[in-house]
Formats: sequence, structure tokens, C-alpha cells
Amino acid sequence: MDHMTATPHRERSTLRRLREDWWIYLFLLPTVVGYGAYTVYPLVASWWYAFLDWPGFAMRGTFIGLANFKLLWHDDLFWNAFTNSLVFLIISVPLRVGLALALAIVLNRPSTPFRGLFRTLLFLPVVTTGAIVGVVFTLILDADGPVNLALVKTALIEEPVNFLGNAGTSLYSAIGVWVWKWLGITLIYWLAALQTIPHELYEAARIDGAGPWREFRYITLPLLVPFLLIITLIDMVGALNVFDLVMTLTGGGPAFSSEVIEVYIYRTAFQATVPQLGYASAAAVLFGLLTMVLAVLQAIGVRSVRRGMAAR
Amino acid sequence: MSAGRDTHSVADARRRLSRRQLLGHAGGLALTAAALPALPGCTGSGTPRSRGASDGDDGPVTIQWWDQFRPLTELFENELFAPYSRQHPNVKVQRRQLDAPDLAQALQLARRSNQLPDVHSIAGLQTSAAALVATGWFQPIDEFVDLEGSPVGQYLYDGIHRFEGRVYTFPLFSGQWHDGTPWLNTALAEQAGVDPAEVALTWDAYRKVLRQLTTKTPDGVYGLLMPMQEPGYLGSRLSTFAQTAGAPGSIDWRTGEYVWASEPFFEAMEYLIALQRDGVIHPGSASMAPRDARARWAAGQGAVYMWGPWIIGGLLVAEPEAVERGIAAWRIPAPDANDRGFIHTEPASGPFWLSSQSQHPDVAADLMLQMTTDRFLTLLAGAMDQPPIQINLVEEADVHEAYRANVEFMRQDVRQAPVPQIRNPDVADVLVEMQDIHPNPGEIVQAVLTGSESNYRAALREYNDKLTAERDRAIKAARTKGAEVSIDDWVFENWDPANDYDQAKYAEL
Repeated sequence: MDHMTATPHRERSTLRRLREDWWIYLFLLPTVVGYGAYTVYPLVASWWYAFLDWPGFAMRGTFIGLANFKLLWHDDLFWNAFTNSLVFLIISVPLRVGLALALAIVLNRPSTPFRGLFRTLLFLPVVTTGAIVGVVFTLILDADGPVNLALVKTALIEEPVNFLGNAGTSLYSAIGVWVWKWLGITLIYWLAALQTIPHELYEAARIDGAGPWREFRYITLPLLVPFLLIITLIDMVGALNVFDLVMTLTGGGPAFSSEVIEVYIYRTAFQATVPQLGYASAAAVLFGLLTMVLAVLQAIGVRSVRRGMAAR
Repeated sequence: MSAGRDTHSVADARRRLSRRQLLGHAGGLALTAAALPALPGCTGSGTPRSRGASDGDDGPVTIQWWDQFRPLTELFENELFAPYSRQHPNVKVQRRQLDAPDLAQALQLARRSNQLPDVHSIAGLQTSAAALVATGWFQPIDEFVDLEGSPVGQYLYDGIHRFEGRVYTFPLFSGQWHDGTPWLNTALAEQAGVDPAEVALTWDAYRKVLRQLTTKTPDGVYGLLMPMQEPGYLGSRLSTFAQTAGAPGSIDWRTGEYVWASEPFFEAMEYLIALQRDGVIHPGSASMAPRDARARWAAGQGAVYMWGPWIIGGLLVAEPEAVERGIAAWRIPAPDANDRGFIHTEPASGPFWLSSQSQHPDVAADLMLQMTTDRFLTLLAGAMDQPPIQINLVEEADVHEAYRANVEFMRQDVRQAPVPQIRNPDVADVLVEMQDIHPNPGEIVQAVLTGSESNYRAALREYNDKLTAERDRAIKAARTKGAEVSIDDWVFENWDPANDYDQAKYAEL
């Protein structure tokens, strides 16, 4: 009896656990296999490829150590693409997050008319394929397109602007289109976040005489901070995945002005006279590392600001 | 080095002979021996060398076929695959047509996953065919069919179609073409008071007529469409205009030096800038790829679009009304109508290749051989893609008058240039070593026309210097790996720009 009561508390060996709970692992297997094959393997493989001289026409590459990284370090076009990706990230994420928050606050108010309609309209571009959006916007932003027509007719500009065909505007136009396309999903995140704030808090604030700004500043914003972090992170990941849109909008041009790192990698891996798979992988790895360094620096910065605020 | 690799790939192809093929060969041999007296000299007649499925092998065979020739879809389906399948009921052909860049990407991925189609073109793979042969992409076609005696046999070149004495491919299209023909929307020309029959032969006349086509047509219609999103297109425009101004191409074959930073290229760049300054280029051009520009041309947004001979064939598939409305071809203009430079191209490469991964190389090769008949080549001309290798067949073919006129212009304007890898196959090893230089001439034109570069002379000089240095480096690297190659392989002292550099010229070296 003593022995039996002691059994449930005893640590089971790994083998025994596997034998008894085999069905748990069976159900986990598809996910593990899928994740391993489509996430872990490509990740590890791209690290290995980065150390190879692998012309795309050959079946395999030869090990050349850090030579690809050394070449990349002196490749102006890599740094151009790197900078473009960072500019894209730095401008687009705050724009998308901020704009979506403003819209969510308006659309969360019961007094806003046609709330459902506006939410649907803003969400529609999200479910439209990126490449299709890109193709359509080449026509919309064309020098003869409706945007230019409207700007010229309203005398806001004298001459049509070639938004996508001008090296000075192409990247910013792509950012604008990307923000427009993905605004709806960030809006949904914010709406969900806003709906977690209890109404009683607003009622209490109003009884205490708080206006809309004070409600926002002292109730909404502090309670949204945890959501802000996760939404920003999601949008940042999204801003580094803009290949389909940029390829169809500008192809990275003109003159590499809108070439983000994904387009650079694609061009190096598939469009060069002799495609360089090792070099392209090294570019991906180096970009990943540099982004990671930036993310760590950002995290350290955020933590120190928080500590400073807590100390006050 | 390359010799070793070629021998290896040939040996691979031989090893891949299946028992069925072996029996086929043996059977074929027996049949040939039996029928020998009745055959009017088999060798050199363009006949299949193996039996396999093509001679009634009963197992089901599916041949995968990938290419980029959209205008040839109907021709291939109705005149090549269907008759072949009727003749060989066990053989089915599955064709995929992809744009050249997509095809290049798909081929690279397919090769690494052992899924290459049996027959494919190499459009979009910008490297030399010799480099692909050297890396084992293909197997020799003469293992299975006799091409030397076929109607295309006389057009086979070492280093382009024949490697290490083995034939890997054959030319189907003529090499006498360029992609800078001004194609005119005659309906718009008439609206603007321009006579389509009056060809603008000089750069000045061309500018003038483009201005007229811009100003005397309805709002939103421009003289010229120039797809600036595609640097390759712009590089080609720069090069063809420069050659009409006297440039020998990108290399002066008498010295072997790159000439991207020479006066004709500067003049061509000035000319492109002048066209833009005139306001004749469609303002949306900067965000157009070549196929977008063709669609805009078909929609009547531009009067002229400079492109290759395949435009009519493509329009007939996608926008036939644009052909019915009226299309004319003009001769590419030159600075001086009486002193025109020639446009230099290489001898036509093989559009189709037999994959080294093919499981049915005998059937695939036999299918490819069906394209070499006079009948098929005449039908090919009728499809109005690139003109066929026997370019005189265009005269007999049922083609649009504009297509016929363009072929005649190209006959006058295009000459065959020397090819270093024909002279020395080891040159291919250098080409494989060479890395791209950016910005390249097309990207420089793009930067100039979109306003992010003004000093094009310095940019072209820098490109020329870097390219020269890169070739020197690649030669050194290739030599280290065993290639017997030098800069002299790029020098052809007996080259005359006004004449084709043919087999006899190589023999003189």
C-alpha cells in the first residue's frame, strides 16, 4: 500500500514517459516535422551555404570559409539594400502602428457611424495578394494615373510625379503602399486590445471630470503598452517581408533606390549572370545578424528607459 | 579542365542508358543491318539513331518540355506534339511556358531537386551554354539522332552547339536579329499625319517623328514606350543605338578590349536623354517592364515600341486586335543614314537542350529532331517569333507584311560577330568565373533617365574599367584551375565589321 501511494510521486524515466504518453508525441510529430523541414532546416542550411562558393548552375558548392562575408562587407549594393530595409522598417512601422491605433480609437467608439463598414473596407487590402496590390499600384501611381491626375487637377503639384519611377520617391511610395495594405490587420489588433479595457475605468474617469485626451493619456495608453510591444514586433517582422510588393511595384529600382535586402538576395541568387547561392545566403545571414544586433541594442535601450522610469 | 568535365558528362549519359534503350539500340542496329541496302545512305539524313519509344516502345512515356516561346504555343501543340503523339500513342508531351526570368529560376531549382524537364530552353540563364554543358546540365543529342545531316546541320558550331565533338543542341532560329526595331501603331501614325511607309532612317528624323506622334495624337498618347523598369532592355537600347553609331558591340574584336566607354556609347546615351527631354517617352515608362510596355502599346498609349521580331507573334496570342488595327516595322535609325554601323550578334545558339536528368533521352531527342524539317521551319516562320534559322523561309511563309519587312531590315543591319568560346572552349571557364559588375550599362541608363545619375561618362568608364579588371581576374582564376586561355582569345585581327564572322574566318586564325 505504501508502495502504491508512493508511485504517483516518483519521477518517471524518459523512456517510460515516452512509452506511456506516446500518443502526445504522435500528435506533435506533424508540427515537429513541418517546423523542422520548413523552418529549422532552411535556417541551418542557409548558414552552411553562406560558407560555400556555389554558382547556381552547379549541383553543390565548395567550402570557402568567410570569403563571402568579406566580399559582402565591401559590397556597396549590399549596404544600399541594408539601408533601404532599415529605412523601410523605421518609417513604415511607426506609421502603421500609429495610424492603425488612431483609426482603432475612432472605430471603437460606439458613436462612430458605419463602424462595421469602415472596418471591413480597411481590412480588405489585407486579404488581397501583395503581388496584385503591387501591380495595381503601378497603374494608380503612374505619372498618368489617378493619383497624379487628382494632385495636378487640385493644383497641389504642377507636374505629375513619377512616384515609382523616380529614385527619390520610389522607396517611400513602396512604404506608403505597404502601410495601406497592412493597416487593416494592425487595426484589428488594436481593436481587440481596446476591447480589453474595462468601461468602468472610463466611466470613473468621466465622473472625475476627465476629457477625451486625459482618458486616452491616463487610461487607454498605459493599458495598451503591453499590446504596443507585441504589435510593434509583429509589424517589424512584416516590414522585413516585403518581397512580393517591392518586386511588383519597382523591382528594386530605379537604380537600386528601392532595393530592399530580400530583393538583393533574390537578385544575387537567381538573376545574376552566374547566380551566387553562397553569396546570397551570406547576405541573408549577415542581414539577420545585423538586425539581431540592432534588436538587442533596442531591447537594452527600452530596458534602461523602463528602469529610469521606475526609479523616478 | 573543361575537357575533363565534358568527357565526364558524356560518360554519364552513356551510363544512363537503360536496358530498354540498350535493347532499342541493339534492335536498331539489327534493323539497320537488315535494311541497309534499302536505305539511301542513313548517315547524314537527320534520322533517329536509337529506336526506344519512338519506334513503338510500348511503355507510357511523358516528355516534360519547358520554354518561354509564348507565340509558339499553338505551333508546338498542333504541329509538333500532337502529330508525334499520334505517331507514338504511348508518348505524351507536357509543355510549360514561362517568362524567361521565371524559367531561369525554375530551372535552377528543378536541377537541384532532380526535376528538370526532358527538354528545355535556357532563356533567362544569362551564362554561356558552354558553362552549362561543362557543369553537366545536358546530354549530347547526337547519341540518339543524327543532326549533322539534317537541314540545320550546316549551322552547327563548335563551342555553341558542339562541345568536345558532341552535338548538344541545334539552332532553330536565325541569329540575324536584334531587339531594337521600332514597331509603329499605324492607326496612331495616321491620326498624327505620319506616313507609316516613310521610315525615319536617321536619329534626327526619328526624334522629329516621335515628337509629331506625341503632339498630334490625343492626350495620354506618347510617341515612344521605354520600359525603364528592366535594365536589360535599356542596356540593349544603348547598345543597339551605339552600334548604329559605329560601335563594334561591347568588345572591339580587333583588340579584344571592352568599349562601353567609347564615343558611340556616349552618343547613344545623349540620344536617349534627348528623347526623354523631348517629352516623347511615355511618363509611366519608368515603372514598366517590357511586357507591360507591349500591353500599353497594344492599348494605344504609345505609338512606337522598340522590341524584337517576336512582337507580332506575341500580340496575336495576347492582343490580336492590335495587329488588326495596324502595325508597321521601321528600320532602326542611325545617326547617318548613309554611314550606318552594323549590329553584331553571335551565331544562333540552340533554343532547346536535352536535360542530363531526362529518363527518356531517346524519345525527347527524336521529338526535338522533328523541328528540323523544312515544313516545321516554314510553320515556325509563320508563327512570327524569332525568324527561323533558314531565314529565306520567311519569304514563303504566311506572315504579316511588317514581320517580313523587319526580317529584311535585319538582314541588312545585322552581322555575325566572333565568339571567343568557338575559338577556344576554355573561354567558357572564364565566363563562369566572371562576376557581375554593378551598375551595368542598363542600370546606368536607368539611373540617368530616372534622374539619379548625371555623369554617365564617368559611370560607363568605371564600368568598363571594372569589367576589364574582372575579366583579367577571371582569366587568371581559370588558368589556375587548368584552363588554357589568355586575353588573346578575345582578339580577332581578321574581323571585318561589315561581314559575318563565319566558320572560314575561324579557320584563318
